[in-house]
Amino acid sequence: MTRAVVLTTVIAFGFLAVILRLGDLMLWNHERLSLKAESQYTKEAEIAVRRGVIYDRRGRELALNLDVDSLYSDPSKVKDPSGAARELSSLTGIDYPDLVKKVSEPGRHFVWIKRKLGEREACALRKVLDKSAFGFVTEPKRFYPQGVLASHILGYVDMDNKARAGVESMYDSVLSNKGGKVALEKDASGRVLSQGVQLESKGDNIVLTIDEGLQYIAETALDDCMRKWHAEAATVIMMDPYTGDILAMANRPTFDPNAPGKSSPNALRNRAIMDLYEPGSVFKIVMGSAAIEDNVLRPGERFDCTRGYIIVGGRRYSDVERNGWLTLGQIIQKSSNVGTIQVAMRLGPERLYEYAKKFGFGEKTGIDLPSEAKGRIEKPKNFSATTLASTAIGYEVAVTPIQILRAYSAVANGGLLPTPHIVSEVRTPDGTLIKRFTYPLKRAISGRTAEKMRQIFAEVTEEGGTATKADVDGNHVSGKTGTARLYDPKTHRYSNEYMSTFVGFVPSDRPRIAMIVVVKGAKGAIYGGVVAGPVFSQIAEQAFAYMNVPRDDAIKNNLVMLEDDGRDGTGKAPGWNRN
Amino acid sequence: MSPLEGPRKPDKLLILYTALLVGFGMLMIYSSTSVVTTVLVKKQATSSLYYFKRHFATLVLSLVMAAIAYRIKPDYLGKYSPVLLVVSLFLLMLVFTRLGITAGGARRWIKLWPSTFQPSELVKLSMVIFLSWYLSRDYFREDSFLISMAPVGLMGVFQVIFLRQPDFGAAATLACITIGLLFLANVRLKYLSALLLVLLPVAYKLIQEPYRWKRVTSFLNPWGDAQGSGFQLVQSFIALGRGGLTGVGLGRSMQKLSFLPEMHTDFIFSIVGEELGFLAASGVVIVFGLLFARGVQIANRMEEKFYYLMAYGISLMISLQALVNFAVVSGLLPTKGLPLPFLSYGGSSLLVNLIAIGILLRLSRGEAPVEKKDRLTEAIERRKAKRAVYGGGL
Repeated sequence: MTRAVVLTTVIAFGFLAVILRLGDLMLWNHERLSLKAESQYTKEAEIAVRRGVIYDRRGRELALNLDVDSLYSDPSKVKDPSGAARELSSLTGIDYPDLVKKVSEPGRHFVWIKRKLGEREACALRKVLDKSAFGFVTEPKRFYPQGVLASHILGYVDMDNKARAGVESMYDSVLSNKGGKVALEKDASGRVLSQGVQLESKGDNIVLTIDEGLQYIAETALDDCMRKWHAEAATVIMMDPYTGDILAMANRPTFDPNAPGKSSPNALRNRAIMDLYEPGSVFKIVMGSAAIEDNVLRPGERFDCTRGYIIVGGRRYSDVERNGWLTLGQIIQKSSNVGTIQVAMRLGPERLYEYAKKFGFGEKTGIDLPSEAKGRIEKPKNFSATTLASTAIGYEVAVTPIQILRAYSAVANGGLLPTPHIVSEVRTPDGTLIKRFTYPLKRAISGRTAEKMRQIFAEVTEEGGTATKADVDGNHVSGKTGTARLYDPKTHRYSNEYMSTFVGFVPSDRPRIAMIVVVKGAKGAIYGGVVAGPVFSQIAEQAFAYMNVPRDDAIKNNLVMLEDDGRDGTGKAPGWNRN
Repeated sequence: MSPLEGPRKPDKLLILYTALLVGFGMLMIYSSTSVVTTVLVKKQATSSLYYFKRHFATLVLSLVMAAIAYRIKPDYLGKYSPVLLVVSLFLLMLVFTRLGITAGGARRWIKLWPSTFQPSELVKLSMVIFLSWYLSRDYFREDSFLISMAPVGLMGVFQVIFLRQPDFGAAATLACITIGLLFLANVRLKYLSALLLVLLPVAYKLIQEPYRWKRVTSFLNPWGDAQGSGFQLVQSFIALGRGGLTGVGLGRSMQKLSFLPEMHTDFIFSIVGEELGFLAASGVVIVFGLLFARGVQIANRMEEKFYYLMAYGISLMISLQALVNFAVVSGLLPTKGLPLPFLSYGGSSLLVNLIAIGILLRLSRGEAPVEKKDRLTEAIERRKAKRAVYGGGL
């Protein structure tokens, strides 16, 4: 029986080998394998967040959430993929081949057919679909009730409610607060085993400085302007010059944040803060302020502008029309390039650069919106023969509309450079205030200089100024026009298109709003005073009506009643019975 | 001890070991399937006891069949073993008919109301009985190449079918059992080594088939493709590794939550290791070892060569399956579908192995060979005599 002994020994050794191997795996490698195990039992789960609501400054909803149905399919249970796809295609408008592919995907149990269906669509689908193979999930869909209104400010979200632009993106962490990821215990097919983990949360709400009414006024005025001048693009920003609160900000072309995919990238861009351009004459604020602040002029000094042109560094700079001998105020009022350049040459490169910096050009304003452009002003040591002259009249610099508006706000408020911002408060879902934002102001110029500049700008809209059409009935406007040729980066030449700007504040002596209007490529007229000025005027007039700002001459003409508590027994506001 | 004055009682230790394994198997099947029952059986399952109940039903049936096997005289088994083998072959062929069931890319089961049956399990036992019988015939001569190697040809027939299914695990076990029995029957070593030479090109061709080659490579380095071909083995390692010395606790396996495929059948041993640790796992190995030792002891008591070979063959069959299963689960052998006797969920395996135990218990009673020849044996002998007259015979 020796063979039996051999065979038995072999088998016995087999059992021994197994025990040794088990010792190796279970005792020696216990810790290493346990770690491997832990890592595969957990998965990161996305917490479903209902994004916070975005309100305007008066508590009107600009962005909210709707519960909508999304259609999914379990392809393993679709009996007749081509039939089902045909039906789906006719109801959802999705291409038939795509649908066939989706519903016949092997080995999958979940495919989205269409996310965020319309109500009618969902209703129709519910009636016809096979309930075992198709189902609906309720998802919060971001909804912007005002459509295109304030779209560039608000931004938009994608299918998965991920922020893509604007306030949505800048304040994503606030709006989707308590979102993010959490580690959950799971089994092999990913089913979650952990209990009691909060997988839904509400983001915090945001209150904007925007006023829906003013925004509407601004947007409407832009639409009118675009139609009137067949312009390529247009921008308006309205701001409280004392605080930096943006009251309205609009661009054309624009988009509907409810369906951003339908618009071109061009329309999605917030030109007010992202587009750099050579501003032209509105940049003369730097020359004027520097000249006054640094006292480089004799009182009543006049400059010779009779020839109508000046040649600097081999380049000829002309005025629109010949002027006589002009004071600083007249130079700005008539927007004389010849005069400006003469003053600038007295200031010199260093001082011009210093004041451009003081007004915040060449750096971000710090507005709480994503992708703000920084702009560019040349350093004095890099100045070419023409840079000083060009910079003084707003060429060879790149600025954004918001930078210009900020500079003019400083003149309006007595010399302080505000930080433009769009969000004023963060509140919890139940409305408790969490944070109110305050922004510092930085002195740009002295109050005395600001006051003088304010008076000069007031003359721009008066008889003899470049922007008589920017004035508002009943309230006086201070401002400045700018008309700049568009530089074509493709041909490296100036094209025949113009950027027409009007920037200013109103009422002139106690400003309530500062505003800039920029129109690109207007046809038929080019001058800032002609193209942008009336838009400014239209918006300001309607805004004052909306804001109940009294006319400058109101008290003089007895147009306003003095304060009255209204308790006249009728419970009605004073003046109710007047008409 | 003389066969005539044998204990006349079945071996108690053999019963004990088997009962331990079967009982422990019930426990582990419940533990490993109760949580995911609903997932595995989709909508049919209403209770966490789904698999447990089915296994229990199979167990009852298997015990009845084992009892019947115990009642049958071993000699009858030998005489009818060719019939048994033909029946096994027939059932095995049914796999390729409309009765066959394909699962996991292999045709291994046939429909047998109310359940399914895996004929390859029966083939193993039939082969043990038949070979024991054949190798103990008077005309068997271990020094005749043709006579001693004829079983290899027979095995070849089954091998072809197994590989067509394909069922590499069954093919390997059957080969081991056959060669083991030939070895025990004192077949010349040079014949046996010649057999190995013949097998070499076959083995080469097998590993050339991509999915088997993948299995081989994944077994050598399962971590290399832990999400693909090495997945099951890696999950098995993780299960065993988590267990440590004393395990994570009964019912607390994480790996059974669908991480480890086949956790209640071929890989139930991994769950044992995970939940109850090294002590329990090696305990199971030891019990199988004891079962084998007891089987060999019983075999050694046999004075009839047929009984001896059958007792040893059955012990060998059970131990080989267990060993291969342990080796696969712990990564010592390439992955192949082979259940762990008595513990794995799977009716055919439990049924056949318990019948085998039934036969072994009968042999352990140590009864004498039947003195009185039955009618069939007489008929066969008459025919043999006739052939001798006419110069026929082997």
